[in-house]
Amino acid sequence: MMNPRWRTPTCILQAVNEVNIKAVTASFRKQAIEFLADPQWIIPSIVAPFIFTVVVLMMYPDRSGTVLLQAILGGGVLGMWGNTLFASGYSLSYDRVNGTLEPLLLSPTNMFDVIVGRSIWNTFIGIVNMVFIYIFAALAFNTEMTIADPLAFVLIMLVTLFSLSCVGLIFSVTFVFSRKSYILTGMFEYPLYVLSGAVIPITLLPEWTNPISMMLPPTWGVEALRASAIEGYSTVFGFGMWGNTLICILVSLVYALIARAVMSRIVREVQKTGSFAGY
Amino acid sequence: MDTIVIETKNLIRAFGKGVTEKNAVDGITFDVRKGEIFGVLGPNGAGKTTTIRMMCGLLMPTSGDVKVLDIDVSDPKSSKRLKQKINMVSGGERGLYYRLSGRQNLHYFADLYGIPKGEQKAIVSEVLDLVKMTDAADKKVEEYSRGMKQRIHIARALLNRPEIIFLDEPTIGLDPEISLQIRKIIKELSEKGTTIILTTHYMTEAEELCDRMILLKKGKIVGYGTVNELRDKVADDTMIRIVTTKDPSALSEKALQTEGVMDMRINVIPGRFETNIRVHKDFSHLDRIDSMFEQFEIRSIGYDEPTLEDTYLYLTGGE
Repeated sequence: MMNPRWRTPTCILQAVNEVNIKAVTASFRKQAIEFLADPQWIIPSIVAPFIFTVVVLMMYPDRSGTVLLQAILGGGVLGMWGNTLFASGYSLSYDRVNGTLEPLLLSPTNMFDVIVGRSIWNTFIGIVNMVFIYIFAALAFNTEMTIADPLAFVLIMLVTLFSLSCVGLIFSVTFVFSRKSYILTGMFEYPLYVLSGAVIPITLLPEWTNPISMMLPPTWGVEALRASAIEGYSTVFGFGMWGNTLICILVSLVYALIARAVMSRIVREVQKTGSFAGY
Repeated sequence: MDTIVIETKNLIRAFGKGVTEKNAVDGITFDVRKGEIFGVLGPNGAGKTTTIRMMCGLLMPTSGDVKVLDIDVSDPKSSKRLKQKINMVSGGERGLYYRLSGRQNLHYFADLYGIPKGEQKAIVSEVLDLVKMTDAADKKVEEYSRGMKQRIHIARALLNRPEIIFLDEPTIGLDPEISLQIRKIIKELSEKGTTIILTTHYMTEAEELCDRMILLKKGKIVGYGTVNELRDKVADDTMIRIVTTKDPSALSEKALQTEGVMDMRINVIPGRFETNIRVHKDFSHLDRIDSMFEQFEIRSIGYDEPTLEDTYLYLTGGE
């Protein structure tokens, strides 16, 4: 019997080893071309976070660095969240409607690799979002913003984006199974956004919601982001800036592994039910 | 001996649950030989698409066995190996990324099939050339006509140089000229040694292309063999074909009462009506039929050998 202590690392290594880099890269490229050719993505990627940021900034007469940062973080995470779900999840829904799910399932590539490639593109767009919101906030509201630890901020931002992608992967796999998955995604999109602490710190939410928040990888990332951006900010839960970052990475990996395992089962299931053909 | 590349045994596929459960494919057994064009024929809802989806591993059988190139399609461990050796064209308007060009679509799928970058350009050019789409390859798919999309579908399915290619109604909805081009491509592929499984309900197409075929009706095989073997099922029959200007439908009952007449069907063609009457080959009452149809303004009348379409209609009960 396998030693339980070694089960998880072996599992992670095997999963990483099995990733088809060519398929991931191709899916990234394909997603980029489609994204840039289709203006509808502007709504979740640019317009929604932009409006959110404007509303938050207008609520506070004193737009000092901290408030501005909170607004940018909130708007930025909303943009990234929208991208991850809207683009990663719905892109497979689009494949179902478009009839491309069938040739994808026919190819020898693992569907998980296809989704990972798309998610990486969406993550990249998330960075563009954040930069756009930052520039807008700085120019339109004439405020100065300083980031306490710029290098840590950039690194933790990338980790948070990765964590959002991993949550998106879980949603994405359900789209292979059923065309009705958008109901699930729609139901969880905004509650998860609030629960991850992007709008307000989770300590201000009802206590019973905290365990749910802790199970979401972005929660740890967002808190670490605050610590890296705001001078003198000490994390209100967890294990400090880098500790929370590490937990964010670990929980994200668990999400990714679950998504990969679930994907293989779901593909088998759709082959049994024939549901890939419905749209 | 001919190598068997596909073998199905008592294949069943059910859809629905409980009282709504129905066998779309109901206990079919047949084999396909290497290099042949094998037809899966039948009316709508006969189980053609379900059959080929099971053969290429997209759909699991409810029971029974399918072996493709000696690989059990139900075995998930062999799935990747099988997918590298086969491909399928579902066709139609869907199945391609609209905002990508035809070439970009092909490169994307080439990557998913693990074709090395160094070989991709040559393979993509080769398949584009084969389907005569080189000139339009850099246009977005959304600008393509249905026929152009269908040719890109075929090109996509050729990227991994499959040993077996499944074509699901490849010419449906296409104009005659494009259909002719698609049939020409299918023949070229067959000449190069690719085994082709073709579903169609165009009998002339099946007659022109298929070496052997199965005829399906409500999920069951009602005919299996070469065109000539199937025609042998109506070898004792002959056809009377009558073209009239007016609709002779009112005559059906009377004509069927004539000695030696087995069945009659009327095809409405713009401006004329084509009546096909199946009679025994010893039938000698053409004069009676002639006089019966006179009032409907006969443009032509005469005996003819049964075609595959006549056989098909006989075996499927006229569906």
